[in-house]
Amino acid sequence: MSLEKPSRDTALDVGVTEDGLDYDALADLLGGHVLDREQHVNAEGFVIRPDEVQEVLSTLKEEAGFDHCSCVTAQEYDDRYESIYHLRKYNDPTQELSIIVPSPKDDPHNESAARVYDTADWHEREAYDLVGIDYDDHPDLRRILLPETWQGHPLSQDYNQDQPQIVSLREHANPLDEDKRSEDDPDTMFVNIGPHHPATHGVLHVETVLDGEQIADIEPDIGYLHRCEEQMCQQGTYRHQIMPYPDRWDYISAGILNEWAYARAAEDLADIEVPEYAQVIRTMSAEMCRIASHELALATFALDVFGDFTAVFQYGIRDREIVQNLLEDLTGQRLMFNYLRLGGVAWDLPEPREEYFEKIRDFLDDLPHKLEEIHDLVTGNEIFQMRCVDTGVLSKDQVKQYGATGPVARGSGVDYDLRRDDPYGYYDELDWNVVTEEGGDNFSRVLVRLREVEESARIIEQCVDLLEQWPEDDREIQANVPRTLRPEPDKEIYRSVEGAKGELGIYIRSDGTDKPARFKIRSPCFSNLQTLPEMSQGEYIPDMIASLGSLDIVLGEVDR
Amino acid sequence: MQSAPLPETLANLLRLDPNSTVVMIVTSLIGAALIGTLMMTNTALAGPWAKRKITAAFTDRIAVDRIGPYGLFIIVADAVRLLSKELIVPEGVDRPAWDLAPLVIASTALLGFAVIPMGNGIQLADPEVGLAYVFATASMASVGLVMAGYASNNKYSFLGGLRAVAQNLAYEIPLILTGASVVIFAGSLQMSEIVAAQQQSLIGPLPSWYAFVNPFAFVLFMIANLAEVGRNPFDIPEAPTEIVAGYQTEYSSVYFVLIYLGEFIHIFLGGAIIATIFLGGPAGPVLPGIVWFLIKIWGVFLFTQWARSAVPRVRIDQLIEIGWKGMLVLSLANLLLTAVIVGVTVQ
Repeated sequence: MSLEKPSRDTALDVGVTEDGLDYDALADLLGGHVLDREQHVNAEGFVIRPDEVQEVLSTLKEEAGFDHCSCVTAQEYDDRYESIYHLRKYNDPTQELSIIVPSPKDDPHNESAARVYDTADWHEREAYDLVGIDYDDHPDLRRILLPETWQGHPLSQDYNQDQPQIVSLREHANPLDEDKRSEDDPDTMFVNIGPHHPATHGVLHVETVLDGEQIADIEPDIGYLHRCEEQMCQQGTYRHQIMPYPDRWDYISAGILNEWAYARAAEDLADIEVPEYAQVIRTMSAEMCRIASHELALATFALDVFGDFTAVFQYGIRDREIVQNLLEDLTGQRLMFNYLRLGGVAWDLPEPREEYFEKIRDFLDDLPHKLEEIHDLVTGNEIFQMRCVDTGVLSKDQVKQYGATGPVARGSGVDYDLRRDDPYGYYDELDWNVVTEEGGDNFSRVLVRLREVEESARIIEQCVDLLEQWPEDDREIQANVPRTLRPEPDKEIYRSVEGAKGELGIYIRSDGTDKPARFKIRSPCFSNLQTLPEMSQGEYIPDMIASLGSLDIVLGEVDR
Repeated sequence: MQSAPLPETLANLLRLDPNSTVVMIVTSLIGAALIGTLMMTNTALAGPWAKRKITAAFTDRIAVDRIGPYGLFIIVADAVRLLSKELIVPEGVDRPAWDLAPLVIASTALLGFAVIPMGNGIQLADPEVGLAYVFATASMASVGLVMAGYASNNKYSFLGGLRAVAQNLAYEIPLILTGASVVIFAGSLQMSEIVAAQQQSLIGPLPSWYAFVNPFAFVLFMIANLAEVGRNPFDIPEAPTEIVAGYQTEYSSVYFVLIYLGEFIHIFLGGAIIATIFLGGPAGPVLPGIVWFLIKIWGVFLFTQWARSAVPRVRIDQLIEIGWKGMLVLSLANLLLTAVIVGVTVQ
């Protein structure tokens, strides 16, 4: 082993060159495994055999350094099924590679990647649930979003939407009756935490086995808020009909960040150049959303730890309210903004501009003082530290294994922020820092969010300066985009942005019509929530609740 | 300072013979009803109205202000609302115990007020073991909590009941030991004696209230009292974000009201004990004793609400640790020190 190690380290950048990835080198590494190569807009795709998934992925992970399986997309073609593993690297997410695994139409199955990337567990369960591909050697291939009694796979071609679905109470029996997991150990107790529970942040159901007050086994059960978002997007036209949906994924004031994810993917797919002025407005409004979202995350986390609707919750809401007002002035909406358009934004800044800039500056001027207050009340509190330091610890390796991103990853010292690493918008022109904390515990995640609020404020300030000085005759808010957008057929793209909770990615495949043939959402909360068992196994119930709060999940985005 | 207990005063007031047993029983009941009503009135004010107003003030909100002056009539509205709710009896609850628990929780707290001197001669009885009696009744509420937790046939209730017991064990002992240090000072368990012992001047106009004589014991007692009444940072048996509502998860309607009533009376009883043994009881300038007494217990109530608004909840294992490893040691040290000091100075 000691001899192998150095050679492995140098081999970790197989194909890495000055100007991007050399896919030939990667193909050489995989040798005969690569059956075919496809060009996607974001990266090249290697087609491999369905029974060689584990071998190929572990080679890529171990030897080429693809440590981040950001998404698994499954879809059905007329002649085959296909799973796409979107791989990238935590230290440079612009190095991407798609592994395409076709499987036969009559018996779609391929090897599971869950043994290589833990995150593939849930992603493949979702693919099985919605598209109907079987994954061999998967640790626990069950439906994840739909009820277990569901008939058919809704995103497969032969799915009959009119077929009545019978989900009887009897078949969906109360898990309390069985107490199945506590049989082998009489000292444990099975408890359903949620779907109706004060601290699950929505309709999350956590099946928990308790040993006294400690968590012996825990499994999040999701899907209560599944609203067919992917399918709805597949039925809307690129140009206008899809944009309102992203607001409803992470519906807690992160709307513009979500819209940007779609805008970025669709614009790159259709080669739309966004005017610089619009990019600055996008950047500014997106960071406002991030502040609003982080403030609420802090407020609800405090709610979980403090135990009631206390002062801290109200402080968070108070500060968020100001941002909400700013966003309302800009977009006309408080939550469901629908402000971004393909190629720009809906309209320019509100008139009179000076007054609006004044408002933003007032907010930014007050912010340090308010954050100070929150630090006094929350992070400086000894009891709070006692509760949060060293609880819900998530190591760097676990973060990467589960594909966790956003403040959850940065709280564990994984320096991964798409705004800097895979720049879009106006971020690379501005002066700001990526915040990381090394602790990996609940406390670190809170600190990361609080410090990110400061960084967002810096970004907004620079944007305001830029917008203020922007020449009046150059305020172009919208590029020239055809009324009906029809990207060329069979173009595929996976693009992501740094949403409030992490990497929010969109996969789109076009088929020459004005609607996407496949629209897949990679939700950061979905991947982040998978880490909950790792964080809370063996800990006390209150710590599990705190960890759940510090993950800052929004069930609308988890279930989509 | 020593005045006749309330039943005797009542008998004299009604021109009845205070030596007759029947008269004493009747007047005792009247006195008990009076004191009970007084405390219930305070609770009614505290529960639906003051608690909301206080919390709102801490969290930058307005709270109830629609009905009546300062929203005060919300008390009536809430009473009607709560009493008209459906009483849901879940399947499989352990019937007599489940029904008795709210009664036990509410009534035991009231019992403690029997020996509290509230000033102006309002004290139902003044037995020699007054303080011991108060602590005994105050801790009887735990029995109610266990009954509620165990009989509810609900796992959250069960966890809440277990937590309540663990918490009470961890905090009752420091609480009583700290109370005992006051007994050493006063040389008596009798409530009126303890109050009387605090009337001399300590330095200048400062009275020799035990809060001033031994501030350390006072702080210890205040903290232990927070755990005793189950308020932040020690509201662990209820812990809404963790175990829904603990032992009271399954209670609705009248039972819910009774449990809440019990909790608030308990807070006031805690306040009454603190006022009596640390803050000179009903003593105070200008205003009548009963008013001072009420001001003091409301002060303690305010403190609990403040803690509730601003302090995070500790974890159950941390609470046990604080109780057994911290508070118990400190309270023993306090007791020992007090005994030495009193022993030396008396000789």
